[in-house]
Amino acid sequence: MYQSFIGLEIHIQLLTQTKIFCGCRAAFGDEPNSNVCPVCMGYPGVLPALNQQAMHMAYLVAHALNCTLAPQTGFDRKNYFYPDLPKNYQISQFAAPLGTDGYLDVEFHRKKKRVRIHEVHLEEDAGKMIHAGDMSLLDYNRAGTPLLEIVTEPDMEIGEEAEMLLQQFRRLVRYLGVCDGNMEEGSLRCDANVSINRRGEGLGRKVEIKNMNSSRFVRKALNYEIARQQEILDRGGTVVQETRLWNENRDLTETMRVKESANDYRYFPEPDLPPFNADGAFLAAVEADLVELPAARKERFMRDYALSEPQADFLSDEKPLADYYEDAVLQGADPAAAAGWLAGDVRKMLNRYNTALTESPLSVQRFAGLLMLLAEGRIHGKIAKQTLEAIFTEDKEPELIIREKGWEQITDSARLQTYVDEVLAEQARVVEQINSGDARPLGFLVGQVMRRTSGRAEPQLVTALLKQSLGLEIVHVLSFGGAISGTRGDDGLIVPGDLRDLKDIIDQEVSTRIRFEEVQLGRFLSEEITPADWATLIDAVNTRLHTGDASGIVIAHGTDTLAYTASLLYWFFADSTVPIVLTASAVPWEPISERAQSGSEAVRNLRAAVERATSNVPGVHVVYGEQDLSPINLKFERIGAESPDLPGPFRNWNQSTPVYRGRPVVEGPLELDLAGLTERLERTIGSIYVAKIYPGMRGDALIALINAGVRYFILELFDTGTASLRETPFSLKQAFAYGAERGVRFFCTSQQEGIVDFSEYVTGHELWKEGAIPMGTLTTETVYTRLIASLIASDDESEVLRRMEEAL
Amino acid sequence: MESYWKSVLSAESSRAAYQSAVTARNQQLGAFLEFDPERGAAVSAEHCLEAVNRGQRAGDNPPDSALATVERLPFAVKDNIAVDTFSLTCGSRMLERFRSPYSATAVARLCAAGATVVGKTNMDEFGMGSATENSALAQTHNPFDRSRVAGGSSGGSAVAVAAGMVPFALGSDTGGSIRQPAAFCGVYGLKPTYGSVSRYGLVAYASSLEGIGVLASSVDLTEAVFQVMRGQDEMDHSSLATPAELVGASSVAQTGTRVGVLTGDLGLDDQVAAGYQRSIEVLQQLGYRFERVELPTLEYCVPAYYTIAAAEASANLARYNGVRYGLRPDYAENPEELVRAAREQGFGPEVKLRILLGTYVLRSGFQDQYYLRAQKIRTAIRNDLTRIFQSVDLLFMPVFPVQAFGHGAEGLSPFQQKLADRFTSTANLSGLPALALPMGLENGLPLGMQLMAPAFHEHRLFQVARVLEEELPPPVPPQYPPLWQSHTVPE
Ligand SMILES: [Zn+2]
Repeated sequence: MYQSFIGLEIHIQLLTQTKIFCGCRAAFGDEPNSNVCPVCMGYPGVLPALNQQAMHMAYLVAHALNCTLAPQTGFDRKNYFYPDLPKNYQISQFAAPLGTDGYLDVEFHRKKKRVRIHEVHLEEDAGKMIHAGDMSLLDYNRAGTPLLEIVTEPDMEIGEEAEMLLQQFRRLVRYLGVCDGNMEEGSLRCDANVSINRRGEGLGRKVEIKNMNSSRFVRKALNYEIARQQEILDRGGTVVQETRLWNENRDLTETMRVKESANDYRYFPEPDLPPFNADGAFLAAVEADLVELPAARKERFMRDYALSEPQADFLSDEKPLADYYEDAVLQGADPAAAAGWLAGDVRKMLNRYNTALTESPLSVQRFAGLLMLLAEGRIHGKIAKQTLEAIFTEDKEPELIIREKGWEQITDSARLQTYVDEVLAEQARVVEQINSGDARPLGFLVGQVMRRTSGRAEPQLVTALLKQSLGLEIVHVLSFGGAISGTRGDDGLIVPGDLRDLKDIIDQEVSTRIRFEEVQLGRFLSEEITPADWATLIDAVNTRLHTGDASGIVIAHGTDTLAYTASLLYWFFADSTVPIVLTASAVPWEPISERAQSGSEAVRNLRAAVERATSNVPGVHVVYGEQDLSPINLKFERIGAESPDLPGPFRNWNQSTPVYRGRPVVEGPLELDLAGLTERLERTIGSIYVAKIYPGMRGDALIALINAGVRYFILELFDTGTASLRETPFSLKQAFAYGAERGVRFFCTSQQEGIVDFSEYVTGHELWKEGAIPMGTLTTETVYTRLIASLIASDDESEVLRRMEEAL
Repeated sequence: MESYWKSVLSAESSRAAYQSAVTARNQQLGAFLEFDPERGAAVSAEHCLEAVNRGQRAGDNPPDSALATVERLPFAVKDNIAVDTFSLTCGSRMLERFRSPYSATAVARLCAAGATVVGKTNMDEFGMGSATENSALAQTHNPFDRSRVAGGSSGGSAVAVAAGMVPFALGSDTGGSIRQPAAFCGVYGLKPTYGSVSRYGLVAYASSLEGIGVLASSVDLTEAVFQVMRGQDEMDHSSLATPAELVGASSVAQTGTRVGVLTGDLGLDDQVAAGYQRSIEVLQQLGYRFERVELPTLEYCVPAYYTIAAAEASANLARYNGVRYGLRPDYAENPEELVRAAREQGFGPEVKLRILLGTYVLRSGFQDQYYLRAQKIRTAIRNDLTRIFQSVDLLFMPVFPVQAFGHGAEGLSPFQQKLADRFTSTANLSGLPALALPMGLENGLPLGMQLMAPAFHEHRLFQVARVLEEELPPPVPPQYPPLWQSHTVPE
């Protein structure tokens, strides 16, 4: 078992007005050799004059990285010959770097780590040499621009951690406004050193890696390099201490041309610059510029505005966006709504009109104003979107837009009630039909009221007023197969059926105020569910939620796959204000039989579910007998018909209080129609494979699955997340490596109840290093459906991963 | 004399006569590498004004008397100090054709006060030498005896003043490079406190040791030039303002001044030893109190000085690589070869030796043994001098153990020359001001001694020098009488 050690050397170009030691413009992309003077060209007799702004920015970064700030710092000369270095020595810091012993916290796959910062020092950049045919051309515009180097301790183990650290660091310097953090253009550069060794034997032989022009390449290069070194050690070889270059076209590291002589930089103190004293006034100025940093801001967003982690992540990523968001909230926008709009419709608009938020017609005032119109109910969601678009196209105040277009909706209940009363009076026959038990024409009445208001009424409010006036509650019962809807055949076997018999019984029992709408979605047994069935169910629930007439929705389901369907519905409808209640029964209802005792379970459960559905408890519920279970982490633990004295066959894992409501993975209205959803679900589910680890399971079986097109594995591991990684045919190691190269993801759950956390066992730690994602307290079923929902919600791989990690 | 210099450049006739006289003398003495008063008059006025205004000069603004003294005077500049209308060769093949795009702060401040650069003077290549014999471009002779050297490395500047070609000249002093040629040629030579005169525009050899100073024919002029040049400069962050309590300190003679003299065997030749004794007697007669002081670190000065100087030189001279300016080979296979060939062809042997030495002492693993040890000695010397200056106001020392020596093999070996820097390099290692002053002739050759003072106490140097000037005015080389004696000066 190997341990790997990764340290980074990060260089950032500071966004100062002028170069670090002269008055030349520190600008990029100008005509070659136009921003030069005798000082930065290293002419005879010139001297460096330290740019105070560069020092200020340098201390600011060191401070933000929690470094000890040097009260006095100085410069040294680093001597080496290279044509792009005008003086052939670089003024840098060696003996007394301005910042030491700092840290930056990173988290990857639930593993939090404090990466120590060895030092932060300021130096001058070199020019650029370009080889063109048999000529070498030099551009000194960059020579003498301020460069800040951040050196970490070798505290990272895998490329993913380095990638996270870089991304976090980039965000930090952009926040501080000291660097634009563009790795492609080289304003942020990163070299790495990596060594591996047998566990417990300390650092190995260090290999330096250069030429990584994005954080993604840093991850890939480091993981490639770790694998390469492991292979060498496995063969009994020795790693050569050298510098290697990442070749992004070939996805590998290559030995850099070996320099003729070893580098001895012959550092000595720079005699031309006196020591720099960071006095009280200087430090106070640095302190004053230390804005709230991204990590802290994200935490605060989650805490103060009750945002989810991905939302807070998205909003805090760039300072202008975070400032905009907070400004909008300060001006009265609802924090949750503002976050949702910025991440959704506003982002779409910005992309469509290819503009930056701060430069768009959507000023903070207009945005907050729009959300307040929505919150006050003066416009409804669809109109709000149209208004947003009109702000972009017409560049006007939202208030003016809705006035000009007559979009303001009627929110006055009393006024609407008069329309409702008129319609009810007019449609006496329809009212009678409803009163006699058929609630179907309610939609027709809603339409009548809407027509009278020229569409300016909010349909849900109209529905509510109509239901109130009619004294009506409607529960939709969706029959989704399973024994609860089935019957027992003459041969004694349970076959699929519908709820007709049950409905009759329930109808007699429940209050006459409840209208019982049974919808037949399919005659099948629970174990026969296909992705298309799920699509039908999701579509049906979605439709019923949006017509607005339902007091509750009951889904009669089979027992075998209830845990899957329940969590899947949760990830789609966790924020439903209308109760969605799933129920099941091990056996169908049988009027007269020796099994009548157990057969009455179907009646009992359905009755309980209907009661729950009308008791105004929002979210998704699983009702079984007396139990009101959470749809997530539901485990089907016992089989067969139950006696009424026993607790049901279901139990929630890892939940002290059941969770019914929350943030769905698929937010907002479902944009797919049934055909689209079916196609999407089928495709999605086809890319997932759920596997349970067992002794003797062969890693190459997983490889075969990968070759067959599986992109996501849900691995049910032992204990807190262990599996064999020994070099045997039964090891998963090769499958992980094989999958990692192909972008395959491994989400890990446990066969036992408890938390999957790779920090406990060394095999778990190895899994983490191989890129396996521990899914914490979530069960296999719940993770599986969450993955489905995440894949439906987004095509973007990183977005999918973010949604998966958010579940933790 | 004063009226001659003030008007020599103003009228066409006197300027022509001056030019031809200097050209004639220069042919014999080799003081100037370039002599062209017209180009001096074309120095960028913009640069000059900038240099005057840069930095906080409040306390260091030159007194009106100093400005009046330097106004309209012609002066020479050592060819390692930048003047934007002249070459900047540093006495090296490497920069033989290099023209400076800018002017040194010190030069610009003088030009702003109305003085005019008339030419650039010869020197040891990059200041490395004690005889101006390491110049790759010309040979310089001592005006008192042309078979002898002028001293170095500011030999050209010393000769230009001693032979009456200019009233004053700028030089640079890294380990005695102003004071030793001043002593060899019988003129005043001031090495100011480190940091008091901006180094911006002085081509770096050993940055922590060197500075720009004055060689002049009188104490008044030396002081005035210094006052015009000094003061902080934004372009040189190692430049310093005169401490507030010393601003405006008087250089009028004081009574009760205590002067320290060195005891023991100083390794002087007979003439210099006798001259040192005689000078002490003169001072005693003038009423100065003497105290014998010991400078135990003196014998470590030279090794420490050469270690630090070479180390800094190895970095400072690394910029000459033929890429952006200076000598470059016609053809090179690749950038590395270009750099190698440029340095091989451009540098003389003494420069190469010191670069190699400097590279050697800075190698990792050897710094403790050489470079850091030298820095410790430097600290010890500073402490020694601080101690000494608690009991005396000034230190009176020889400049060099011998008088001007012969050219080439007739003179001192390079090694002996280096050893002989012990009296001068003390001031460079400690950053203290020192003034070489002429003490008459011995065997027909000038004899020079030096005074050293605490930092920013240049006024004490001038106090004593002014008294001595009356007793022992600077000697005049018999073959080069003052120009105003042979020329009619238009009024
Ligand atoms: Zn510049």
